Amino acid sequence: MKRIEVRLSLPVVAPLLDVIKGLVDDLKSAPAAPVSPPDADDDFSSEWTRDLVAAQSSDVQMLLSLFGTEFFTEGVVYFDQSNAEAIARSCSAVRLRVRERYLKGLSDESLEAGEVNLAALDEGVRKAFTCYLFLATIQELIVQHLEESIIGS
Amino acid sequence: MSSPAGKSNPLSQPQAESEVQLDTPWRVVVLNDPVNLMSYVVLVFMKVFGFAEAKARKHMLEVHEQGRSVLWSGTRETGEAYVFTLQQWHLTAILEPDEAH
Repeated sequence: MKRIEVRLSLPVVAPLLDVIKGLVDDLKSAPAAPVSPPDADDDFSSEWTRDLVAAQSSDVQMLLSLFGTEFFTEGVVYFDQSNAEAIARSCSAVRLRVRERYLKGLSDESLEAGEVNLAALDEGVRKAFTCYLFLATIQELIVQHLEESIIGS
Repeated sequence: MSSPAGKSNPLSQPQAESEVQLDTPWRVVVLNDPVNLMSYVVLVFMKVFGFAEAKARKHMLEVHEQGRSVLWSGTRETGEAYVFTLQQWHLTAILEPDEAH
């Protein structure tokens, strides 16, 4: 089984985890992306949304489990077939929520191009934006190195 | 075209309409969002629909440049399953009647 090991800078990444942890309760209660159940029936819609939120919550727990004792002692996280899918999805969920919660003042164009003047942002927004970029990097690493594991699973 | 039996039985017509509605093809459409990475969207299309990379990339670019792409067309039940899976991957996906049919 292919496994990738990523060494991270503790002083840089540890503060970003506060951003993720601050969104966990929200991600346990509502879908991160716009959801449109294809049936107007209330019961159907509720069940649809509930199932999406349950899956999302489980994925976010998998993301948080990356940053356990080993990360805080060695600064290392691992990705393989057992966690790649869930973590790739959870990166999207958290990024969508970070965008909605903290980055509303930034245009879609500047976010898509990554052209944001960090020095002009206040500290909270800067931290959230750094977390947004960090999760994109994690997701990109997974797509680049574990694409076959995900597609084949 | 109508049948004589349809005219004499008032219940026949609604039943026929219902069958037509169930048989109408539906399509799965993915809408653009400014957050998800292009490479991630390509991966999701390959994973969910079994597309080759070139086809997945073509649809991703369609979403990115035109705001939407039709990924699949067929029965409503299967379309719902695809939309649910795409929403699990946090893409903005909708199911709509395929007006081309």
